[in-house]
Amino acid sequence: MPATVDTSSSKKRKSTKNAGAPSKRRAVAEEDSLAETLSKVQELETQIAESRKYYNNIATLIAMLNVEQSAKKPELAVAVSLCRVFSRLMAAGNLSESSRDAENEKIVVAWLKERCLEYQRALLSIIREADTTSQVTALTLSMRLVKEYITHISGADSSIWSGFFKDIIEALVEAQDGEEVRAEFVAKFMKEYEDIRYQTFGQIAEYAAARRKSDTIEILISLLSACDEAPSSDHEIDVEKFFAKPEPNNKRLRTVHGHKRRAQDAWLAILRNNLSQAQRKALLRIMVHTIEPWFTRPELLMDFLTDSYNEGGAISLLALSGLFYLIQEKNLDYPQFYAKLYSLLDADLLHSKHRSRFFRLLNTFLASTHLPATLVASFIKRLSRLALNAPPSAIVVIVPFMYNLFKSHPTCTFVMHREIRDKKFAAEIESEGMEDPYDPNETDPTRTNAIESSIWEIETLQSHYHPNVAAIARIISEQFTKQAYQLEDFLDHTYQGMVQGELGTGEKPLRKVPVVEYQIPKRIFTDRLLEEDGGVDSGAGSFMRGLWDFSS
Amino acid sequence: MPPSQLKQLKASLRESGVVGPQQSKKQKRQNAKSGVGAQNRNQRNAALQAIRDRFNPFEIRPTATRSKFETTTRDDNSKKATGRRPGVTKSLGEERRRATLLQEMNSRNKVGGLVDRRFGENDPTMTPEERAAERFARESQKKMRKESMFNLEEDEEEFQLTHMGQSLTLDGTTVDGMTVDDFDAGDLEGAESDEEASRKRKRFGEDDEDAEDFIDFGEDGEDQPERKKSKAEVMKEVIAKSKFHKAERQKAKEDDDDLRDELDQELPDLFEALRGMKAPAKPEPVKQDLDTMNPERAAMLQIPEGKDTEKEYDQRLKQLTFDKRSKPTDRTKTEEEQVEEEAKRLKKLEEDRQRRMRGEQLSDEEGEESDKDSFFQGDEDDEESEVDDAAAFGLHTTSYEPRPELAVEDEDDFVIDDDLVETRSNVSLSLDGSDIEEEEFSDEDDAEESEEEDELINGMTLPTASSAAASTAVQVNQTADGKLAFTYPCPGNHEEFLEITKDVPTQDLPTVIQRIRALHHPRLHADNKAKLGRFAEILVEHVSYMANESEEPSFAIIENILRHVHSLAKTHPINVAMAFRARLREISEDRPLSLLPGDLVVLTGVSTVFPTSDHFHAVATPAHLCLARFLGQCSLNGTSDFVTGAFATSLCLQYQTIAKRYMPEFLNYILNALCNLAPTELTAKNLSFPLRKSQQSVKLAPAKKVTPRKLQFRDVCATPSDAQAEEDLKISLVTTFVSLLGTASDLWAEKSAFIEIFSPVRAVLNHLRQSFKSKVFAAARDPLQSTLDKIDAHLASASRARRPLLLHNHRPLAIKSAIPKFEENFNPDKHYDPDRERAEANRLKAEYKREKKGAMRELRKDASFVAREKLREKKERDAEYEKKYKRLIAEIQSEEGRAANEYEREKRGRAGKR
Repeated sequence: MPATVDTSSSKKRKSTKNAGAPSKRRAVAEEDSLAETLSKVQELETQIAESRKYYNNIATLIAMLNVEQSAKKPELAVAVSLCRVFSRLMAAGNLSESSRDAENEKIVVAWLKERCLEYQRALLSIIREADTTSQVTALTLSMRLVKEYITHISGADSSIWSGFFKDIIEALVEAQDGEEVRAEFVAKFMKEYEDIRYQTFGQIAEYAAARRKSDTIEILISLLSACDEAPSSDHEIDVEKFFAKPEPNNKRLRTVHGHKRRAQDAWLAILRNNLSQAQRKALLRIMVHTIEPWFTRPELLMDFLTDSYNEGGAISLLALSGLFYLIQEKNLDYPQFYAKLYSLLDADLLHSKHRSRFFRLLNTFLASTHLPATLVASFIKRLSRLALNAPPSAIVVIVPFMYNLFKSHPTCTFVMHREIRDKKFAAEIESEGMEDPYDPNETDPTRTNAIESSIWEIETLQSHYHPNVAAIARIISEQFTKQAYQLEDFLDHTYQGMVQGELGTGEKPLRKVPVVEYQIPKRIFTDRLLEEDGGVDSGAGSFMRGLWDFSS
Repeated sequence: MPPSQLKQLKASLRESGVVGPQQSKKQKRQNAKSGVGAQNRNQRNAALQAIRDRFNPFEIRPTATRSKFETTTRDDNSKKATGRRPGVTKSLGEERRRATLLQEMNSRNKVGGLVDRRFGENDPTMTPEERAAERFARESQKKMRKESMFNLEEDEEEFQLTHMGQSLTLDGTTVDGMTVDDFDAGDLEGAESDEEASRKRKRFGEDDEDAEDFIDFGEDGEDQPERKKSKAEVMKEVIAKSKFHKAERQKAKEDDDDLRDELDQELPDLFEALRGMKAPAKPEPVKQDLDTMNPERAAMLQIPEGKDTEKEYDQRLKQLTFDKRSKPTDRTKTEEEQVEEEAKRLKKLEEDRQRRMRGEQLSDEEGEESDKDSFFQGDEDDEESEVDDAAAFGLHTTSYEPRPELAVEDEDDFVIDDDLVETRSNVSLSLDGSDIEEEEFSDEDDAEESEEEDELINGMTLPTASSAAASTAVQVNQTADGKLAFTYPCPGNHEEFLEITKDVPTQDLPTVIQRIRALHHPRLHADNKAKLGRFAEILVEHVSYMANESEEPSFAIIENILRHVHSLAKTHPINVAMAFRARLREISEDRPLSLLPGDLVVLTGVSTVFPTSDHFHAVATPAHLCLARFLGQCSLNGTSDFVTGAFATSLCLQYQTIAKRYMPEFLNYILNALCNLAPTELTAKNLSFPLRKSQQSVKLAPAKKVTPRKLQFRDVCATPSDAQAEEDLKISLVTTFVSLLGTASDLWAEKSAFIEIFSPVRAVLNHLRQSFKSKVFAAARDPLQSTLDKIDAHLASASRARRPLLLHNHRPLAIKSAIPKFEENFNPDKHYDPDRERAEANRLKAEYKREKKGAMRELRKDASFVAREKLREKKERDAEYEKKYKRLIAEIQSEEGRAANEYEREKRGRAGKR
């Protein structure tokens, strides 16, 4: 074997005599040493398998792991072979002691256990510190070890889960640059094996019970939210598909309920931790689809949601959907829900990026035809006020939404069309004008008097600068022949989309020849020929010239 | 026993009144006059037909299906179809076939033939005498027509020249004067045949009458010998008569004129005689009567006769035939009329703009109609909008002239406006201004241009793209002393343009552009139009390039280029619009939230080149969106951002000066900016607009005294030199924003939600006033206060004018009716298919079927006819053959018989001898 290696290398040397010979030599040298260690490790491993007298080789191997000072560059081959060694030992029963064993036997077992623990620590430190590939390998090895423990050593079940596995989870969470290894863990173990998921939830719940840094919590959230599919209640937990055979008396592990409980505990532990604003928003965003399905008692979320809802601003908007879920499913009684909803309609709402989300929900909340007309009118009036300062993409939503409200609450149409029958009152209005009865500062939507008012704002928007918006605003003054507008079609418009809609993405011939202003102005920026007009600057553009000085 | 057939006939004739007691002559005349005769004739014909039918019952065959009960069957068809006459139809068909099919059959495989075109030939209704008379009449008419070439009395279209007795003109003009043929004989024939055709057409009408004439010999007997004159003949006679009289009159007049002229000529002699001395003889004036003559004729008369004259005459005549007949031109308009027309045109344009603003479609018919309407309302509207406009301009409300578009005295504008019709208006585009020198220069330039044009037309080649590289051409053309070259190539893209103009000083750029435009005038070459279109796009690009490139761009030059762009836009609207749209697209894709100075200039250009008041405009609408997006989302980092914002907001108002549309982003931005600039924080809650904080504080420091100034465009990119300048800039920003708000309040004063829009504005301004209490802001306080007052006044009037909305004064919608459609006069044979298309298809199908059946029947009958004819022919041939054969046999037999007899005789003779 060495002879062949030699010939090949000599050949190589010949062929690359001139260029890069030294580096090649170094590479070859490295190769040689690698092969050497490999063969050595192989030798040591086979020796261990052969006879007990070579057990000391284990210590040698652990020393070869190269993780004493720092685990930056571990010898992976050694780690793999060690794993094999320990697995074999466990399978042979050499790692479990029985009371009948002789004393010296016990000493050997204890020594072996010691070495095993040492090896475990080495693996954990690799997970924490080493580069990504080593991390992934170490993770796989440790999980293999966990499995071997549970299958071959009876009674080690709970101690392993709460011991070594807990350490693994901690190492994972605290690992440096650990995105990949965590993803590996999630994909290979957590999603694959339900018992690992179960145990992970438990460990995370424990881990998050203490106050943690916000980075850590971020990692925990990402781990938890990775399992986004909660098992449905009729789901069968199949023990055969478990990572390791569980204890026969552990019933929780076999029911969906038990799993959910664990997940719920984990989530609650995180929610109780001190969350940053951004994390809170992130959680609220995944609340309905990812978190709530795990909860056996969603009412436990109530506190978190109501707190968030009362916070105001974007968080309120986000909490809304979770809250709605509770109200709808769990019969949560939220006093003053509509008042709170009404207070959410503030100046920032229509400019926020959660606008579409909010309108979808608002559409649901106001869908009931049993709502009092005064309340609906208040919403209409408030929205029309806001529309006065809204970007076109928001106005485009508001008007069809109002249309739908008018259709389902015909009593509210008085805000569009009000004939005054009372002669005295009519005369008064004729002489002094109508005062808007709407009270914008009233917080209770049933008392704003909005139904007595009119939506002049939308009428004004009929002369919006954008022709399409103006056309949409015009629908409220036309006959209401359409049954309802599909709100979804009007959501999610943006400035960019509108500009692109007008301009297109590339050069395209115009359908109609654009009209050109028929008169060429005498001046645009300067005072050219001003004395001809008697020194008074009038005509097109004089406004700009009055405000700005273009001379340079 | 019934009476005999003859008796029955007589009786029925009497009954139906065909024969009756004879009418007196007087009665007859009366009848003829009142047209009763014709009516009677018709009645009598019908009666006769009925009688004939009755006496021949075998002719009529009853219909196959009889209507059973007339009362129940409401079918109209059952009544009209009483029976058919197979004999008649059969014989008709036979006749027709004999006329067509048989002819064809006979003439098959035959070429050529003679067609008798003589008048009245093949017309059995005419007697030989009639034929002869008609032919004679035509001949004499033909003679009449070409009487003489000098016949003035003839109508112009009848005028015909002859040469050597032959017609020269391609005349052949008929009454409507349109047929022109260039072959004489053919022409004559054509005219004739035309007439003949019309004559023939007429004859069909007359046929019936003639036939009747034969029948009722008893009545109209006396008219018979004299043929009635046709109407055309009568008219011709009348025309001939009137022409004759006209000629007489003219001749008399001419005689008078001659006499007068003679007298006039003799008048000097008379004076001389009176004075007693003789003046030197004057050269004889040209004969007066030549003027009255046709010029050709005059020329002919003047020049002595000879071959040359004839030749010339021919030549002239040919020319004459190809000459266009002169038409009356429009009267030259007086100045007032021109001005009035111009004003009308401008008014029309303005109204079009208004309509576009309202978003109505501009269809021509509608346009005209509503044009009229608004013309009457126009004055009121104009006055109203005038007031508004004046208020909108705020600064000088008192001395605002009426709309500049209607200020007809403004000559400069009209020079430009010629540009609408013609593209050559470079005069007005030069930088003439007040600078006389430059004006002269531009004049020169213009003259030069026309010169150049001439030269170019006379064969100088155009500087095409192929002729050498563009840039080198320029360098060659440029003279040593740095003067401008006179020719420039038309650039194909912006880089080429930059290459061309890289050595040109900036202030000469307009001249260069002008020369390029002049050199590539579309009239000079077909490609130039496309080239200039491309050039316009380059100019748009260059405008933004100029504003971006230099720190302090020369706005006089930019303005000039924009005006060039505008004038090019009139001829190349699509190119310019596409160029602007490309700029806007670039803005929206690369830097929607941080506009460069060039972008601002482009957006300003949009406001001048295109009507921003349009409801929808391919350029103006995206420009609006770009501005609004910038205002709604731009970053607020420092004062320079606010300056850009201030420019953008001013542009918003500039865009909306006429249309007065509402822009939410405008208010949001200004209120935000004011809140950020105010020296103290605004504490109020429940702001109606989203407040965005500037990332670095731009609050006015109350320490130093500041004086507001007019903002300058260069503030957009330049940073203030020191703290004092920065504070000055801030306070001027504040005053600009405040004045913008004032203008906006004027613009939107009519909006129904004015109170809602401007209450927050008022709150912010009040806050600003509060925080300006300190002395250092004294200069800014006055404009602030005046704006506040103005907004207060507007608010008060708005609240007074506020009424509850009445948006739904529509007619209530009709409830959908569910009554089935009831058909009156329902006819079961008709198809009442509500689906029009299907009904139409069914109808076509039925028609097709019917036609097919008919065609098949016809073909079958044709075939049988042909077979019959062939059989007949064959029989004829056979019979002939048989006859011939028999004849021959008989001949031979007789010959043989003779020979036999001879033989017998001989035999007998021999036998006798023996």
